[in-house]
Amino acid sequence: MRKPTLSPSLAALMGAAAALGAHAQSAPETDSVVGYRFNEYGEDSFDGAAIGSQERYKVYSQQFQLDTRLPTGAGLDVVATHEVMSGSSPWYVLPDAQRRPIQVLSGATIREHRSELRGAYTIDPGTASSTTVSASYSQERDYRAGSLGIERSLPLGNALTFGTGASLSHDIIQPTDAILYDRVRHEEKNTFSAFGSLAWVLDKSSVLQAGLQFNHAVGYLSDPYKLVSVGDAILPDTRPGTRTEAAALLRYRHAFAKPDAALHLDYRYAQDSWGVVSHTVDVGWYQHVGDSWQLIPALRYYSQQQARFYAPFFDPGQHDFFSSDYRLGTFGSFAASLNVRKRIARWELSAGVERYHASVDYALGGSDSAVPGVLSYTRGFVGLDYHFD
Amino acid sequence: MRTSSRLAALAIAAITLAACSTTPVQPWERGRLARWDMRWDPDPLQAAANEHAHFSKEGSDGHVGAAGGGCGCN
Repeated sequence: MRKPTLSPSLAALMGAAAALGAHAQSAPETDSVVGYRFNEYGEDSFDGAAIGSQERYKVYSQQFQLDTRLPTGAGLDVVATHEVMSGSSPWYVLPDAQRRPIQVLSGATIREHRSELRGAYTIDPGTASSTTVSASYSQERDYRAGSLGIERSLPLGNALTFGTGASLSHDIIQPTDAILYDRVRHEEKNTFSAFGSLAWVLDKSSVLQAGLQFNHAVGYLSDPYKLVSVGDAILPDTRPGTRTEAAALLRYRHAFAKPDAALHLDYRYAQDSWGVVSHTVDVGWYQHVGDSWQLIPALRYYSQQQARFYAPFFDPGQHDFFSSDYRLGTFGSFAASLNVRKRIARWELSAGVERYHASVDYALGGSDSAVPGVLSYTRGFVGLDYHFD
Repeated sequence: MRTSSRLAALAIAAITLAACSTTPVQPWERGRLARWDMRWDPDPLQAAANEHAHFSKEGSDGHVGAAGGGCGCN
């Protein structure tokens, strides 16, 4: 754990989106499938002025999925994830003699593990009036989180489907080496989320979805592992105890007959009570090649404006809240990915790679303050699915 | 209010765009829409991994993300 847990109900939105889409599109595939993915993530080495361990972060994760129909007709989707993480991360920022930022990196984590189990039970799956209840539990040495959610979809005529849902999560934070580094020893937070969405069938080849999401978090929302330079003092990262966010989502899908392909366009706008505003655009192209191959190139752009209490370092004075966590600074990123899928009878092989590059220069509107911790990474995966039907 | 106004504007724009559809699509005409690659998230496992990777490096919560907690990030 290095960052407060983020809204769990967003998964409910994703689930609802899938369900709504299925309803809008009618007769989706409903076969049972067992899937496995191995993912590798590695950050670029730090290229700015830095002090501390230069061993950058690596994550290896495995995902297992069972998605099936029960004898009652209900749907059951279970996903287990296990991650192993190691490496150093941005700790705090010091000014040099010219007040230029020097990033201080933490000592490298030897090896951390995270395990997560998610389950979703759907009544009347594949119909226009489905109901899904879901639960999840995640555990690390220093972080535990559980969530419960419910979602419902309803048809509103021939071409329109309404979806809504809500969820609650409870997180417990128990930082390692709390006494040694004078960190908080036990903190908690609760998050409530709700969403609503509408999906339209526009014509025989295209669908559109619009959704609104609200999240409200209360409790310990700071990062217990990050420090802040305030004048001559080094103080703990200190953020407000509440955070409220609103987000809007638009998704468009268009199927082409020739070439045999589908276009995916997604846009998300989000704004929260800390002052963070973000825009995300995703574009994907699902190209069929022959009877069994599929190529999926995709591009993603992201831009955010900083939280009101972010700065790389602070002058002495009265500050209620302060953070130099790069994730609260102003920056933007571009990501490009290419995935390949190959179907062989009931088996399906998949593999892909993504390159993510972030920079203050990519932010919409530019930035007035430095974000020395901003990073880039490369990620890849291989997967294998077995379809029972 | 500013947030609400922006979100309302987006919602209205979406509804207006959707209202442009004037020809009802019958169930037997939806074969193309039912394709695997027309799902909102054709590969949920990969979508969850993508969101988790992006999510853990960015400051906004406004993403479709993996359920549950934990971070596994730095």
